[in-house]
Amino acid sequence: MALAEICKISNASYMKPTAWTSADANEDLKTFSCNLANPYTLAAPPFENPMLNLNQIQANSGKTGIKIDFDHGTTTLGFKYQGGVILAVDSRATGGQYIGSQTMKKIVEINDFLLGTLAGGAADCVYWDRVLSKECRLHELRNKERISVAAASKIMANIAHEYKGMGLSMGMMLAGYDKRGPGLYYVDSEGSRTPGNLFSVGSGSLFAYGVLDSGYRWDLQDKEAQDLGQRAIYHATFRDAYSGGIIRVYHMTPTGWINVSNTDCMELHYKFKSEKEAQ
Amino acid sequence: MSILAYNGGCVVAMRGKDCVAIATDHRFGVQAQTISTDFKKVFHIAPRMFLGLTGLQTDILTVRDRLMFRKNLYETRENREMAPKPFSAMLSSFLYEHRFGPYFIEPVVAGLDPKTLKPFVCNMDLIGCPNEPDDFVVAGTCAEQLYGMCETLWKPDLQPDQLFEVIAQSMMNAFDRDAMSGWGATVYIIEKDKITERSLKTRMD
Amino acid sequence: METLLGIKGPDFVMLAADTTHARSIIVMKEDQNKIHKASDNLLISTTGESGDTEQFTEFISKNIALYKMRNGYDLSPRAAAHFTRKNLADYLRSRTPYQVFMFVAGYDETDGAELAFIDYLANAKSLNHAGHGYGAMFCSSIYDRYWHPNITQDEAYDIFKKCIVEIQKRLVVNLKNFNVSVVDKNGVRNLEPISAQSLTDYNASS
Repeated sequence: MALAEICKISNASYMKPTAWTSADANEDLKTFSCNLANPYTLAAPPFENPMLNLNQIQANSGKTGIKIDFDHGTTTLGFKYQGGVILAVDSRATGGQYIGSQTMKKIVEINDFLLGTLAGGAADCVYWDRVLSKECRLHELRNKERISVAAASKIMANIAHEYKGMGLSMGMMLAGYDKRGPGLYYVDSEGSRTPGNLFSVGSGSLFAYGVLDSGYRWDLQDKEAQDLGQRAIYHATFRDAYSGGIIRVYHMTPTGWINVSNTDCMELHYKFKSEKEAQ
Repeated sequence: MSILAYNGGCVVAMRGKDCVAIATDHRFGVQAQTISTDFKKVFHIAPRMFLGLTGLQTDILTVRDRLMFRKNLYETRENREMAPKPFSAMLSSFLYEHRFGPYFIEPVVAGLDPKTLKPFVCNMDLIGCPNEPDDFVVAGTCAEQLYGMCETLWKPDLQPDQLFEVIAQSMMNAFDRDAMSGWGATVYIIEKDKITERSLKTRMD
Repeated sequence: METLLGIKGPDFVMLAADTTHARSIIVMKEDQNKIHKASDNLLISTTGESGDTEQFTEFISKNIALYKMRNGYDLSPRAAAHFTRKNLADYLRSRTPYQVFMFVAGYDETDGAELAFIDYLANAKSLNHAGHGYGAMFCSSIYDRYWHPNITQDEAYDIFKKCIVEIQKRLVVNLKNFNVSVVDKNGVRNLEPISAQSLTDYNASS
């Protein structure tokens, strides 16, 4: 080392000892496990300006052959009525025209009084719903009371807005029951958040709306409301190529949610068909 | 999305022992929207011959009409029934005629030769490159899935009832993994003395 | 954005079409009839590229009339639909394709009722119920829910009302009025148009 001293190069980076310092170790620990500790830290993409470039890469898939076909295509709906909130969803996940799954769970049970539906990018929805359930549980532990639907949906909207323009694709409904009664919010990846009585989201939503609007009344009975939700999704699965599989119906009541039914589309189709023929 | 997948749909044909089978789905859609569920893409064009066409529906109708015209003209001139092999040759050259502005279809021909009763299946690309294997041919939006199913289930010298089972299972399991095909299916089994048409009960989503 | 609807019953076909004629962001006209009487038992409703719609519909209608003059009998609705499709398909591969979406609807003593769906690519299909345009996306599930094989004209008219309520509720574009026509064994008739005005009474009664 003496020679280095004389030459005045002992401070040069290549002369430093190669042993790991604890600071180095910490640095590595952070980079290799970043969203384990904090789900909000996502890795930066390996190219600059992700807002612009990720969208361009996805848009140019035809020319470049680099296809990023995330799972997509859905019909989900939710509506409030005198007996609470009904949520109904299909269960198909498609990547392009390929059916990746017929048994997706598109309703996330966040806690006993809060449900979320997913539409759009499946991975985006699943990940952020999981983050949301953590936040809701933390809220409960901190404040000794359950989070309101309004607050939960606000957390989701804040997340969505934070990542706006980065290519997230989500359209979700949050349904719950809190001090203010039944709640239904629509939140999407554009960052919009809005309460409402009746929503449908996804590629099959146009078809679901047709049946839903023509059969909807505030004073529906529980059975009628559950059947209407199921029926609207069924008609969407019939007309929309990207919706199908199992129709799941959930009912949010003052005492928490109930999973009313999980029925295969095929079974429903032949049931409705025989009913029509008997008419 | 490819123009060949604009309307969706698929067809498969298989050879058996002294018989052939051809199957079609029933979907007619415009991209993601299903317009009708009774559009059969297989046409009975001679006593023991069927033509299946997948791809753009407008071209399915046009090609079917034009081929019928040419086939009828041939039969009138020659005064004998057209066999599957010459029919396929005619189809191939018809498609190549439109080499620089093709019809967006993928055809499948299945039948028995009227004289020798030898089973025959054939498919082509949209500009008429013929392919005459001695097992099976597929076409449509779920061709990959169909290849997978057929490679697994098909074996030589299947009897008509076994052939029906194989083609029906291949078809249904293939289009259950494809968003653009399905919504009902029909199978035709062609034997020397009869043709059996059977509808399949399928998923309708 | 413009919308055409059609329902076939056992012995009639009913068509509905919005009456908006829009150009870029401007509504030029609010009473444009898009359902044309092609002969005593044939209706054609057309939408699509403005100019093309009128030219093509007229071309088809006049040829159908010519056919009758030459032969002394009408083209059957099925034949008329085939003729229309063939022309559209031929023009599709020419330098001047027509951008039109249409329904050819008719009633024939021997063949019964016929409703042919034809789009701008000349995709064609005989259907029981159908629609063209964005508005029709909302209607197909309503048809599936309420249509049945023995449907009457009153029921069909009521389904149109349901559809138009939905279109006016959910479609961004404002389609105020819809003309409705029916063809059956008595020939062609225009029914009461369905408008935002007439639907307020309908909503109140249901």
